[in-house]
Amino acid sequence: MSQNLEQEVKELIAGVIGREPEELKSETNFWKDLGVDSIKAIEITVAIERKFKVSVRDEEIPKITTVGQAVAVIKEALEKKPK
Amino acid sequence: MSSRTRIAITGLGPISSIGIGKDDFWSGLSAGKPNVKKEEVFIDGEPWDSFFLHKVEDFNIHDFGIDEAKLNDIREWKEGEEITDLNYLLAAVKLALDDAGIDYSAGDSGLGLVLAHENIGLMPFGLKISNLAYEILSGKKKLSKKDFFNNLYKSFLKSGYDIQTFADLFHVARVFNIHNYSLFINNACASGLYAFEAGAEIIRNGQAKAVVVAAADNPEIYKYLWFRDLGIYSKSGLVRPFCKDSDGLVFGDGGAGIVLEDMASAKKRRAKIYAEYLGGGFDLEGWKITVPQIGNDSYVKAINKAFKNSKTREADIDLLVPHGVGSQPIDYYEAKAIIATFGNNPKKPLISALKPYVGHNLGSSALLESLVMLLCLNNDTVFPALNYDNPDPKFNIMLNKEKKQVKLKAAMKICCAFAGFNAAAVFRRVS
Repeated sequence: MSQNLEQEVKELIAGVIGREPEELKSETNFWKDLGVDSIKAIEITVAIERKFKVSVRDEEIPKITTVGQAVAVIKEALEKKPK
Repeated sequence: MSSRTRIAITGLGPISSIGIGKDDFWSGLSAGKPNVKKEEVFIDGEPWDSFFLHKVEDFNIHDFGIDEAKLNDIREWKEGEEITDLNYLLAAVKLALDDAGIDYSAGDSGLGLVLAHENIGLMPFGLKISNLAYEILSGKKKLSKKDFFNNLYKSFLKSGYDIQTFADLFHVARVFNIHNYSLFINNACASGLYAFEAGAEIIRNGQAKAVVVAAADNPEIYKYLWFRDLGIYSKSGLVRPFCKDSDGLVFGDGGAGIVLEDMASAKKRRAKIYAEYLGGGFDLEGWKITVPQIGNDSYVKAINKAFKNSKTREADIDLLVPHGVGSQPIDYYEAKAIIATFGNNPKKPLISALKPYVGHNLGSSALLESLVMLLCLNNDTVFPALNYDNPDPKFNIMLNKEKKQVKLKAAMKICCAFAGFNAAAVFRRVS
């Protein structure tokens, strides 16, 4: 489940920033290493919310700097989601 | 069915870091030298923090010829505390009414009132809470929980009431004998444009012949800390809208008062008419509080609604004043809406971002910048972009770089505010 989620997130983020999923490791900092900025960070958030049907809090947006962090934010949001 | 009542703008009252009152303000704009200062904040002599701001200096509420007895009543209600935000509102209303030549000395001035502010009364209230909490938490006061709650209640009764905005409406209305429809507005940075529309509707509905609309903001440490923590407050002290090296916003200080009036009444009394308010457009994106949704068309919708309501088209607009805060994602979001409306790197309208002149006046910013735009419209003048050394080509828009004397017929103010309050307003010069 987690590996599937991580792969899905990699593909999603890679699509938004115009990279190949293979370029994204779990710990790759896509702000520092792949040139993501505050504008792309919002586009990534929009994509995450649409795909996983979750709401990411404002203050979480700048914290999503790696695939691992994105996965953590998504998991937390999914857990908090009313059933 | 009667034709829609036309709305004239007949009075302007700016209070800003580059000038107080219409004439000084225009001189300050023309000089193009913003008054940016570093505010050092101390607590009991101990440095706390510092931030840049466009600072109003030499402001004294007693310099405006406002009824001193009524000012004293406000001071008594405030238990001696001078509230700068309220003083700015009072002064802005006075300047605007005097500029319009409207007599408010009679029992009922016939006016309506719309006030706008993002956070009025919050700072005095917050400081009082902080001071008492310090007394208790530092062990200077020992209280049971019940006594603590009672103490809080008694200490904050007055200032707590005063963050409920009706008190400010009351104070301002009382000073200027305003007894007709009144309204307090808070749509974050877009408040000024919502206030224009509300004021116009009050007149169109026959609730008042004229409405004074005013907004203000006095920058304070708590506001700065919030914007700093959001990562959008400039460390350089320079607002650089749509630039590669933009590093955030810098607070403005002051406010603005503007008189809206039934066009027929204004003409009848031969008032100076700065412009006609043709209409506004408003769209609430509703995604996040502090971040715009890149890719959403809510801002474009607001602009298109403004065209529809004002019965104008893109080609009619000679001058566009954007929000232009100098924060990359907000500027990008705004530039996308501008190019979706006017095309890539449009030659027309001329785009003039004004926060490098007056700072970001938060809940008053849209009103103050509209006031600048109205003066530009009347003087056929467009000011050059300040701090515009490194325009970012990714935005696909260019700000006007040189001071221009050019015939201006219509202008549009747009704003994309926190919480997704997107707004646009169209004004036309009256010949």
